[in-house]
Amino acid sequence: MDFLVVFRNGNFSFLMTGLAATVFYTITGFVLSMLIGLIVAFGQLSKKKVCRTVAEIYLSWFRSTPLLVQLVLIYYGLPILFHIDTKDWVCGIIALGMYSGAYVSQVIRGAIVSIDKGQMEAGRSLGYSQGQTMRKIVLPQAFRRMLAPLTNELISLTKNSSLLSCITVAELFRQANTLIAKNFKTMEVYIFVAILYYILNNIFGVIGKVLEKKLRTGEELE
Amino acid sequence: MSRKMIEIHDLEKFYGAHHVLKKINLDVEEGEVVVIIGPSGSGKSTLLRSINYLEEYQDGTIIIDGEYIGRTMKNGKSVPMEEKKLNAMRQKVGMVFQSFNLFGHKTVIQNIMMAPMDLKKENRADAREEAEELLRKVGLPQKANVMPSSLSGGQKQRIAIARALAMKPKVMLFDEPTSALDPEMVGEVLKVMKELAKSGMTMVIVTHEMNFAKSIADKVVVLEEGSIIEQGPPEQIFDHPQNERTKAFVNMVFTKDVVE
Repeated sequence: MDFLVVFRNGNFSFLMTGLAATVFYTITGFVLSMLIGLIVAFGQLSKKKVCRTVAEIYLSWFRSTPLLVQLVLIYYGLPILFHIDTKDWVCGIIALGMYSGAYVSQVIRGAIVSIDKGQMEAGRSLGYSQGQTMRKIVLPQAFRRMLAPLTNELISLTKNSSLLSCITVAELFRQANTLIAKNFKTMEVYIFVAILYYILNNIFGVIGKVLEKKLRTGEELE
Repeated sequence: MSRKMIEIHDLEKFYGAHHVLKKINLDVEEGEVVVIIGPSGSGKSTLLRSINYLEEYQDGTIIIDGEYIGRTMKNGKSVPMEEKKLNAMRQKVGMVFQSFNLFGHKTVIQNIMMAPMDLKKENRADAREEAEELLRKVGLPQKANVMPSSLSGGQKQRIAIARALAMKPKVMLFDEPTSALDPEMVGEVLKVMKELAKSGMTMVIVTHEMNFAKSIADKVVVLEEGSIIEQGPPEQIFDHPQNERTKAFVNMVFTKDVVE
């Protein structure tokens, strides 16, 4: 075993560009998934049947098919079906966002319905509209309840982003494979990469916890 | 002769096939305190919550301070009014809930300042000054900067009253405001309500506190199975009820009090 290999010949910075890419794709994908999650959640909670149906179909498709399959369908499928010129990393972000959005929608919906309906009534009785009450009163309180499961989702997404290597995106796992193809130090590089994922995800975990603590209101069941 | 503040006209409410409120007609004058009593399931809370259309009803109209709220008349028919108008009208009607419903993510003073700033576009300094004044009124000036979760039930309810008053409503609705409180906290809330009544606020109250009802009400309304079976001054309702069923109900509640 020669673990120092990852620090020689510019290998370290080569892997670091991969790590930076992983962080970028994950976070961008996560922002997109929050947006999609919010839309799907409100779709499910909507009074309109058509909104509920569309949301349910979205959810069942993206939750029930593997991310890897979705990735290749978007990356290889779009050019074939619609002659859309696909960029690997753009496809990657979109696929991550759409896949994770299905899960995030359930986190958001669960948190919203867990807020006592008296909060909505109190807001409405003061003269706030439904949307204003949702935005100013219900969502901020629901957000705290979302934090733990959202942190989970972000961590999942970080790990899932390694699948982007299959559509040629130069993220951490692909950089590692490229490196191994050159120096054949399989175990050394994979272990180092595993540690990098581990550290990154624990940083996300800590940020989630700090945020949760910051948003404490004293009403938590702890 | 004082003028009418609330006019409920031929209100009909159904839950599916269940007829919850049957042709309710009720007037409340400016400054009047009306207490609604009746057996559980008689529709008291539903009637109260209809006044600001938190509870939707299917027919009839309610007028507050000369303007329709909830439903309006169109070609001689009662139809739901547009949302924007309803929201504006609700600002005239303060509501206090059994379960307080303070906003858990805001401090006490933010709870009070929020709606005037958001909806009446009051500036922060004015809103704060008014909120502090209201906190003094309900006897909790020292709690301005704490979170609602640290308050007792009685304190929460007093803050909820202050929050509703911050919008300078014409009418205050109280939906069993002391039912969720420990007995020793009931008094502090009733005291605030009494002072409010004395200040000339028009109030409609649903309560199980019969002695309180007797002492604060100008008019008592008895509801049974969705109909008003009797209304009148508290002396009449409690001491000389005209209706046999009122008599039975009043007897039952007061006997229960004695047994307890």
